Amino acid sequence: MHTQSFDENMVLHDLHHYLPSQLSLKDFVHHNPLHNFQNLSFFDAIFKASKNFGCQVTLALEEYRALHQQGRIRDEILSFIIVDQLGESKLSSWRHRVLQKNYSYSFEPKIGSIRSFWKKAYQIDLDNLVHPLLFRYIGSFLDQGIALWHFPFEDKGLLQAIRDLDSNSFQGVFKSKRTRELLHQSNLNIKELLDLVVGNPKAYSNYLFDQQFAHRGWSGLIAATETTPETLFYRKKSSLKDLILFELLLEIDALDSTLGRYWKPLGEVVQLPNVHYFDNHQLTELETVLSIWQRAFEWDYYDEVLAGIQTASRAPKKDSNPVSFQSVFCIDDRECSIRRHFEQVDKKCQTFGAPGFFGAAFYFQPQGGKFYEKNCPVPVTPKHLIKEYDVKDKRKHELLHHPRTHTGISGFLAALSVGLWAAVRMVYDLFFPKMRPDIANAFAHMNRYGKLKIENESLDDIENGLQVGYTLEEMTDVVEGILKGIGLTKDFAPIVYMVAHGSSSANNPHHGAHDCGACSGRPGAVNARVFAFMANHSKVRSLLESKGISIPSNTWFVGAMHDTASDEIEYYDIQDLNEEFLKHHLENVPSIELALDFNAKERSRRFASIDTQADLKRIRKAIKNRSVSYFEPRPELGHGTNSICLVGNRETTKSLVLDRRAFLQSYNPTSDPDGNILAKILGPLPVVCGGINLEYYFSRMDVERMGAGTKLPHHVMGLVGVSNSSDGDLRPGLPLQMIENHDPIRLMMIIEQSPAIVENILNNTPAMKEWFSNEWIFLFALNPLDYTLYRYKVDQFYPYSTLKKIEAQKGDFIKQVEQFDSMKTNHILDATKENLPVYVYEHE
Amino acid sequence: MFMNTNNLIPLLPLLPLMALLVGFLFHNTREKEIYRANLIGIGFNLLLITFLFIQWLMQGRAPLSHDGFKLYQTSLDAIGMSFFIDGVGFVFLFSATILTLLIVVFSKTYLHREPGYKRFFNNLKAFYAGLITIVIAANFETLFIGWEILGITSFFLIGFYRDRYIPVKNALKVVSLYRIADIALLLVMWEAHHLFHGSVRFEELASLITEISANHQTKNGLILISILVILAAVVKSAQFPFSSWLPRAMEGPTSSSAIFYGSLSVHIGLLLLIRSSPIWEGIPSVKYIIMGIGLVTALVATLIARIQPSIKTQIAYSTIAQIGLMFVEISFGWYQLALFHFVGNAFLRSYQLLVSPSVLSYKIHDQFFNFIPPQPQHKEGFFNRLKLSLYLLGIHEFYLDENQYKWLWNPLKKMGKSLNFITAKTMIGGGLVLFTLGLVGVYTQSSLPVDLHFALPYIFAFLALVVLLKAFTLRGQVIEIWGLVILNQLFITLSIGYNEYFDYSQVHLYLSGILLSFLIGLSVFRNLKKAGLATDLSNYQGNVFVKPSQAFVFALACLGMIGFPITPTFLGEELILGHIHSGQYLLMILIMGSLLIVGLVIFRTYSRLFLGIHMKGMHIRSYRSA
Repeated sequence: MHTQSFDENMVLHDLHHYLPSQLSLKDFVHHNPLHNFQNLSFFDAIFKASKNFGCQVTLALEEYRALHQQGRIRDEILSFIIVDQLGESKLSSWRHRVLQKNYSYSFEPKIGSIRSFWKKAYQIDLDNLVHPLLFRYIGSFLDQGIALWHFPFEDKGLLQAIRDLDSNSFQGVFKSKRTRELLHQSNLNIKELLDLVVGNPKAYSNYLFDQQFAHRGWSGLIAATETTPETLFYRKKSSLKDLILFELLLEIDALDSTLGRYWKPLGEVVQLPNVHYFDNHQLTELETVLSIWQRAFEWDYYDEVLAGIQTASRAPKKDSNPVSFQSVFCIDDRECSIRRHFEQVDKKCQTFGAPGFFGAAFYFQPQGGKFYEKNCPVPVTPKHLIKEYDVKDKRKHELLHHPRTHTGISGFLAALSVGLWAAVRMVYDLFFPKMRPDIANAFAHMNRYGKLKIENESLDDIENGLQVGYTLEEMTDVVEGILKGIGLTKDFAPIVYMVAHGSSSANNPHHGAHDCGACSGRPGAVNARVFAFMANHSKVRSLLESKGISIPSNTWFVGAMHDTASDEIEYYDIQDLNEEFLKHHLENVPSIELALDFNAKERSRRFASIDTQADLKRIRKAIKNRSVSYFEPRPELGHGTNSICLVGNRETTKSLVLDRRAFLQSYNPTSDPDGNILAKILGPLPVVCGGINLEYYFSRMDVERMGAGTKLPHHVMGLVGVSNSSDGDLRPGLPLQMIENHDPIRLMMIIEQSPAIVENILNNTPAMKEWFSNEWIFLFALNPLDYTLYRYKVDQFYPYSTLKKIEAQKGDFIKQVEQFDSMKTNHILDATKENLPVYVYEHE
Repeated sequence: MFMNTNNLIPLLPLLPLMALLVGFLFHNTREKEIYRANLIGIGFNLLLITFLFIQWLMQGRAPLSHDGFKLYQTSLDAIGMSFFIDGVGFVFLFSATILTLLIVVFSKTYLHREPGYKRFFNNLKAFYAGLITIVIAANFETLFIGWEILGITSFFLIGFYRDRYIPVKNALKVVSLYRIADIALLLVMWEAHHLFHGSVRFEELASLITEISANHQTKNGLILISILVILAAVVKSAQFPFSSWLPRAMEGPTSSSAIFYGSLSVHIGLLLLIRSSPIWEGIPSVKYIIMGIGLVTALVATLIARIQPSIKTQIAYSTIAQIGLMFVEISFGWYQLALFHFVGNAFLRSYQLLVSPSVLSYKIHDQFFNFIPPQPQHKEGFFNRLKLSLYLLGIHEFYLDENQYKWLWNPLKKMGKSLNFITAKTMIGGGLVLFTLGLVGVYTQSSLPVDLHFALPYIFAFLALVVLLKAFTLRGQVIEIWGLVILNQLFITLSIGYNEYFDYSQVHLYLSGILLSFLIGLSVFRNLKKAGLATDLSNYQGNVFVKPSQAFVFALACLGMIGFPITPTFLGEELILGHIHSGQYLLMILIMGSLLIVGLVIFRTYSRLFLGIHMKGMHIRSYRSA
């Protein structure tokens, strides 16, 4: 950090870089919370972050040792890791360190070290004096519609609004006259205020880091809305600089009124230490020990999965022709199990995986919507707009949320009238939960009976710079991209389902985190429907012919969406099916329903409220109820346990049961000899899957400092985020209820392709390579010729043979599900027991 | 067989307390059992209340009453638990029981796998028992017991997330204010005791008042009681100027905020006003005060609610505003309207809080379809200026929170800091010498000069207060504070001893609980030291993280120290008050000052020693601001 001279722009830039970048909760998208450290190798990065922020980035040493005792970390793996990382000669000395040596741990985050001197110098708690008021100002400024009166002059930015508020009210914002004068001073700058508050220029930049990281949630949101203002429907002119200036003024005001006018700047009263934030960090011995444990913890599972893949890939395959139906799912790890059940229920069906926006990146405008919603991965900027029309249903309202219940007179009338209704509703919602207008309903994102404008009518049809609908060529490109990517270019079944996913949940501010990550945290129904329309378009099909994809006329694409919380599937545009297609479809529906039953049963093993041995239909009902129950903080478990990303032929690993832990991207290596297709489909995977995985990793490792803590006390703040209390900071990250069953391990990606091709792709895309060479994701290649495994280490592939061997077994996984225990507590030692080993089943 | 159904009334608070004992038996992971203990305990109460309600209807709606056991009885004094249920009681009983049951069912799933699952349900039962005691209390003494239980459970529920900073800070803030209400009620009991010559039943109040109100002297006493009752009600119901504690009490799980601070706990001031209404109904000035407070609160609170960006805070202020209106209704004597208003408001706000996390998706969705950018704010003209000024007042919560510090706690701190010239150790040493001298003096009272004898109660009461003020600002080792607290209690005993004929049995009763608590405290400190844990109070030490059972034991010791109704000290406290003569206001103020501050000191000591972020070892720590 630059401590010599104070450069305002540099510090603002650095703060933007390091502050949490989570947007408004409605746009929840998983990302690596330490993405700003991603240029370093994983352990260097996380321990550096830990040193600065004080967050836990691994489990505690005792916890790893206990996991080893439990057998959850195999002893041979531990030795393997030590040898792998430090060399054969270090084995015995490091085994001692890892297993027995006592280490002392002291908690001294760098950030916060300057500002802590206020207490020492003046016996005052500056945070207590400033934060509650500051948070209320920022909260009110950013508020999207909880307050009945909006923040005055907000269109002018925070600081100018406060100036106007101050000069046009009777009492003014501040207590001390000096602060008031400073507020209205033209060209007020940060340095000038720091001169008054800190006085020692060497400490200025650190002081600002201390100050802003004391409320990283609010500062992060201000910084994020400054760079991405469109995350708020009710746009605000956010500026981190305004926030800092206002906070410094509040500090001066608080100091003036508690210490009197003539206090000396902090740096003149005490000798401020010269700390360098974010300088290079050398791993300590304890940190090296922890990194070995973490690697061993991860490798224990990786090795097992790889052993499973080895067995499954080499097992004899069964020919599944003719295919009954095909379905394309999102790569999402939650669809891992439903695909298995599809294949189990109907042995002739085929499933595929592709990122759930299905290649169609667009903005969506529901009928009557005043804004557009982005339905594609976050880094993509769409050029198209899909508009909904002809919707007949009216949106329903919830009286009990009406703002007028908070005013004096109508609040009085509400208490006398709606009050008693509330009592009835409480009983009803407790014992007979059902969908309500205030429950996030995945199926309500798009109206199934409405129509979509998908085909572009004229190139002049532009709305706000977006082209309305796709041209024939563009549609062809989308369909070609997906079908070639997943290797579905021939042997089409009569019906191909494009199954998007979304998630319904009640009382859940984090519902966006359960929707489709490839659709910017929204349900993907529109994308599925749009893709099906494109692939059914006769002119698109004829254009596809010329590109080597021949979709026969007796094949029809049906858009659908799977609600991963309620385990329901909704189909779209069924009225367009001709008699024959309809017949096929209706034949498939019972199988799909049965698969959903099984999926619900498999999920229920983790839910204490549901008896896994109960009747299938009762389990389905109970699962459905969870998604509409206000009292259920775990409508589903989201991406908890995610840890693998498989890119390859489904057939290769079909007999493998990976619980619900794998992202599954379909890819046919044989039709891609030069790796062009692979290069394309790999593109979004590290960001989407790695982002999800690392968000879970860090929220699990430190649910308080990297996660959002337990969601039970959460207050909804300004419709933009949650906090624990009315005077509290915003809580970015994932809540405890989402991560408690997650084993915090990094993602392991396995690509079914020759290592040379994969290596070549990585060398051509440095941004992607960084994920793997810095070990934020582990990479393996499975050579499709002989199914040998290769491990990517220090930018090269080496053959890898697994320590564990797994035999294929006979039997049925769904029967076994009933026998698994659920966790006793959510402590890692108990929680990890709930996660299943890898099974390989023989084909019947 | 003939059986007086009124004998069932004491079961109402006893059943949940029994369920509480059952709840203690299970480990935190036995969620089903813990839940069932609640469901059965409170569910059975609902049946019982319904049964009593039918009896009440059949008996022509005459209040059901039951004189419970005598807690203490001599020829002169008697403190008894007395109960009665009338129409008002039934309204509160039914609303409280139904709401609590619904919350129990809600929380069963909502709190699944919380480390504090058991703690929550145990507190819930204790809270409910306290609430029921207040509702069916037939005199101030009984009501006070329930009142105290409510206060303590509030402390634990607000500080439910005890390893974080803000919940603990706010729990302390709220319980400190509650302490003011407690003291007000104690004073009410004292004054009523003298006015009516003994404990008085609420049902008899009306007839007693007409008897004595002719006397001019007693009229002042009645006004004093009324004001104190109003003070207690205003604090507990978060009325102006104490409103800002309510949103800050919403620190626990949503369901706990919904029942305690959205509905039941916060409405209890109403009941107190209704119960004591015969006292103030005849005094117009008091009625205007109630009306005025209610109106001001309604205005201020709706204004703040309008400006809140936080949903739970907004609901909190809406609740406060409606209670303000209920105060107005009560001042007009419209009790039935107020009761109806209470029921509606309690259910409405509870529900709104329970589903408050839903507003994010619901209102964003609504905004998506209906957003109209608001008109820009104009500056010109008086009304715009007024609106902007009100906006600022709202955002600063009318400076309520700040002023509480400024007027209530900072003066105490200042007084304490003025004692910086003397160390705690010197004070304890000197104090013990003084106490020994005083003790010798008690036995030779007759030989003391009359003037000195007259002054001694005041001197010792003053010393007691000084010692506590020192403890209030001390941030050193816990053992010093503990020593100062016991010294305070000893001085108070002396003060009372000199004030009147020394009844040893009563003093023993008082001291027995305190000494035991003192010793338990000492053993806890020793255990913490042994484990290498910090015991200085310069910071929140969060020792509960490593020593939960010590925290529990110490909590009991603390309760004993402040005379919570689990030790005989509680009885002693009430009895001793009886020994301050009517008219000895200065002595009363000194002793009440002690009782007030001792509460603050003890809660602070417990919080700093056991709650907050624990700094030792490798584990997850929350951010201070979160």
